Formats: sequence, C-alpha cells, structure tokens
Amino acid sequence: MVHPRTLNETGYIHEGNRMTRRGTFALLLLPGLAFLIFGFLAPAMGILFAAPGTDASEIFIRLGEMLTDPYDLRIIGRTVGLGLIVTAVCLALGFPIAYILARSTSRWGGVLLALAIFPLLLSNVVRTFGWLVILGSNGALGQLLVHFGITETPPQMLYTPFAIVMGLTQLFLPLAIIACYSAVSQVDAGLDDAARGLGASRGRTFWDVVVPLSMPGVVVAATLVFAGSVTAYTTPYLLGGSRQRLLSTELYSYSSVTVDWASASATAIVMTILVVLVSTVAARIGRKGATA
Amino acid sequence: MNTRKPVAAALAIVGYIVMLVPILFVVATAFTSGSTLRFPPEGLSFQWFDAALSYAPFTGALLTSLQLAVASTFLALAVGVPATLAIYRGALPGKGLVEGLFLSPLIIPELVVGLALYQQLIITFRVDNWPVLLLGHTALLLPYAVRVTGAALAGSDVSLEEAARGLGASPLRTFFTITLPILRPGIFSAALLGFITSFNNVPLSLLLQSRESRTLPITMLDYVQQSYDPMIAATSTLILAATMVIAVIAERTVGFAKIFGGINR
Repeated sequence: MVHPRTLNETGYIHEGNRMTRRGTFALLLLPGLAFLIFGFLAPAMGILFAAPGTDASEIFIRLGEMLTDPYDLRIIGRTVGLGLIVTAVCLALGFPIAYILARSTSRWGGVLLALAIFPLLLSNVVRTFGWLVILGSNGALGQLLVHFGITETPPQMLYTPFAIVMGLTQLFLPLAIIACYSAVSQVDAGLDDAARGLGASRGRTFWDVVVPLSMPGVVVAATLVFAGSVTAYTTPYLLGGSRQRLLSTELYSYSSVTVDWASASATAIVMTILVVLVSTVAARIGRKGATA
Repeated sequence: MNTRKPVAAALAIVGYIVMLVPILFVVATAFTSGSTLRFPPEGLSFQWFDAALSYAPFTGALLTSLQLAVASTFLALAVGVPATLAIYRGALPGKGLVEGLFLSPLIIPELVVGLALYQQLIITFRVDNWPVLLLGHTALLLPYAVRVTGAALAGSDVSLEEAARGLGASPLRTFFTITLPILRPGIFSAALLGFITSFNNVPLSLLLQSRESRTLPITMLDYVQQSYDPMIAATSTLILAATMVIAVIAERTVGFAKIFGGINR
C-alpha cells in the first residue's frame, strides 16, 4: 500500500508544481492585504506625516509640547494612573475568581464561568449605563448611603475618578478572568496538593505555587486590562464628564470639536506608544517567565 | 463556592457584583413608569419600550448597525478565510510576518484607527462615511477571522488534505470536501464574534459616523448626553435580550466559552 505522505515526499503529486501552488496561495493573501493596507496601515501612517493641512513638523512640535506642558502631562498622568489602578483592581478581583473557577469541580463552575464571559458580548454602552443609574444623584448607591445615615445628602460620585475606575473595572474584569483562568487551569492541581501535603499553609501554597506558575497569564491579563483602560472612550465619556479629561476624550475633542489636527495626531501617537510599549515590555516579561 | 478560601471567595463576590449588578439596574430602570432614572423605580410599565421602539433615530441606527455588522463580518471572512488558508497551508516564506500583519489591527487603539481613516479618507479624499465605516470595521474584524479560523485549521491534520489530493481529488474538490468542513466551526465562531464586535463598536465608529450612517451605540451615547430618561434603559434591555439569544445560539453550537472566551473545556 502506498501512503499518500510518501507520494507527497517523493514529489509525485506536490513537488512538481510547488511553485504554482505557492503562487495560488500568495494570490489568496492579496484581498486581505489590500484591506489591511488601505483600511489600516496607510491611513495609520498618515497620522504621523499627512494630517489634513498639517506638516509632519507641526505634529512633532506639538508632540514635544505635549510631553512638557503641565496641562497635557496631567492628562497623560491621569490616563496612566487610572489605567494602573484599574489593572490592579482587575487582577485583585479577577485572579481569585479564575482560581476558584479553575479549581471548581461542581457544575456551578461552568455557570459562573459563563457569567464572567457573558458581559464581554454585551455592548459597552449598555454596561456603562448601569453606573449612571447606580452612581447618579438620584441613584441607588446615594439613596442607600443616605438611608443608612452614612451621609446626609447623596455624595457626588458620578463624574469622578471613582466612577471611571468602577466602569472600567466592570468592562475589563472578564478579560482578566479569562486570561488568568487559562493560566491557572494549566497549573496541575496535584501541585497544590503536594505543597499542602508537604506542610505548606493554604496561603503559602497559593502565593508560592499557584501565583508564580500562573504568572504568564497574569502578565497577559495586566496587558489587556491596561491597554483597554488607557484607550477606552465610552466609560470616561459617560462617567467622567467634562472634568475628568483623559487621552481618549481629548483625542475626540481635538478631532471633532476644535479640529486641531496636530494635537489630534500627537495625542494618537502618545496613546499608541503607551499601548505598544506596555505590550512589548509585558511580552518580554512573559517570555522571561516562561524560560526561567 | 468554596468556603475554605474566605478571602478569595469574598473578592470573587465583589468581582461578580461589579460585573453584573449594573446590568441588573439597567433592566430594573427600563420597566419604570416614572420619567427619571430614580431608584427604586416608581412603578411598573412598558412605556419606555414603546418609546424606544418608535423613536426613529434608534430604529434607523439599529438598521445601520445591523447592515454594517453583517456586511463587515461577511467581508472579513471573504478575504480572511483565503488569507488563513495561505498562511497556515501555503508554506509561504515569511509566514510569521504575514500572520503578524493580519493581527496588527489588534495592537493599534481603535480610536486611533478611527482617527486615521477619518483624516485620510473622509477629510483628505472625501470618501463617503458608509464605505469608510465598512472598510474600518472589516479591518478591525480581520484579525479575529484569521485567528479563529486559523485555530480550527491548526488543530486539524494536514495529511487528510494530502490524502485527498494523493487519491486524485482536484484542489477545489479537496477544499470543498475536506478543508471547508474542518473550517466550518471556526468560520461560524468568527462570524458570531465578528458580528458582536462590529455591532457593539464605539471607538472606531465614533469619528466615522455621519447623520446618514450613525450606528446604534453612538446614537445611544449622543442621546444620554442630551436627555437622561429611562428610554435608554429600555433600549439597553432589548440589546441585552438579543445578546442573550446570541449567547444561547453560541452555547448550543460551538460552545459559548470556546467562542467568546477562547477557552476549551
């Protein structure tokens, strides 16, 4: 019996027309490449060099200003700061959830996993809108605080950094859970038992065995949450109001309210560098963790 | 939940509250008979659902969003699936580079891609908003199409296709009888994921919208800025219901966690 693999390796079928096969496959790439080039790459390059009626030099001068001007620096700082807080909160809440779900043997584990993933399907506008109902001046949380005599009048919660942190945590917690879950499920539950058997406390087992072995997943989770937080628009727009300006809301108002292309381009560059830098560094750390 | 890990369990409960309770509040507010977002709601009524369904800007925007989501998902698959085949089966030189190129729209913030398309195509070249929206959404969905169908292809055995070819099937016949059935769950997953991603998108559509082509999420954002009534909660509740239907379809077919969480259980 002649195995098809053998035919292939002897060149009976494929080797003879390998070049035409490659040519066919290369043709299959073309439509996708055209979409990427015209719908993404070329316009993205334009941000740097060809904003409408603007010289590249103006964009770079504005970029330099942005990195020295106190007003702009405050916005960059606020964006990064909120991103870091949201990342920390999402890891603090997401890792325990991932850990419990990954170690769960009950059928509720599947239901809880589905409940953690479902919000990802739901529109960000819909999810963020809930906080307007909860944090608004007639909202549930304010009423509750007054009812229990904690404050006399409902405190201002909407349009504060607190509101943005809550909104962004809600949006990105599912991403953190999924990334951590994938990592924790790959850590053999037998290792937990081994550590416990050797006398380690529950807490020590968690911190010295589970967390270090899940680090690659934690790094992925942190990257996704941070990148999402510093580029999110809907949440700061709805929950931050006009006083909590972030890079994303600035980018929008430069492009469609004040129509200042140099500033819009410079803001876009800052935002992109921030995300790419963090992703690259995180990928490095993740790879180091994997080989160590 | 495991009571022997009290700290983890407490944090997990807080996490679920933050993820889910705001959604419950939206639903509760949608059924109010009052006209504010006061909580608790003042009475039970369906008036805000009637209002939402007969509010022309919302119904028009819904149609735009559905058209855009279907068209961009279809286009992304139409150009993405052949590209996936070339990347994973073509033995082309520079495979990693090409793959990276197709996944690159994931790295750049969507708001920045939106700005780029707005500046270059709408302002400089005066292209209409609708084709630019379609182009942008297709570019946004391409990484998902390539990655999800690619995963289906990477998990399959290439020798099946070689066997078919070895036994004399034409390349087209091999594609339709062997490769396509292997790809089908991946294509279905990518289609659901693409549709949801495009339908919910805000940052990319934000700058590309016009009066004639404005998507539903953007229209809702505009509406919240001007008036602050439960109609938006009713609209949100309808979107929630539709999303749940999609989740059930996903679960009954390929598996919900597999499509949307990338988790194989």
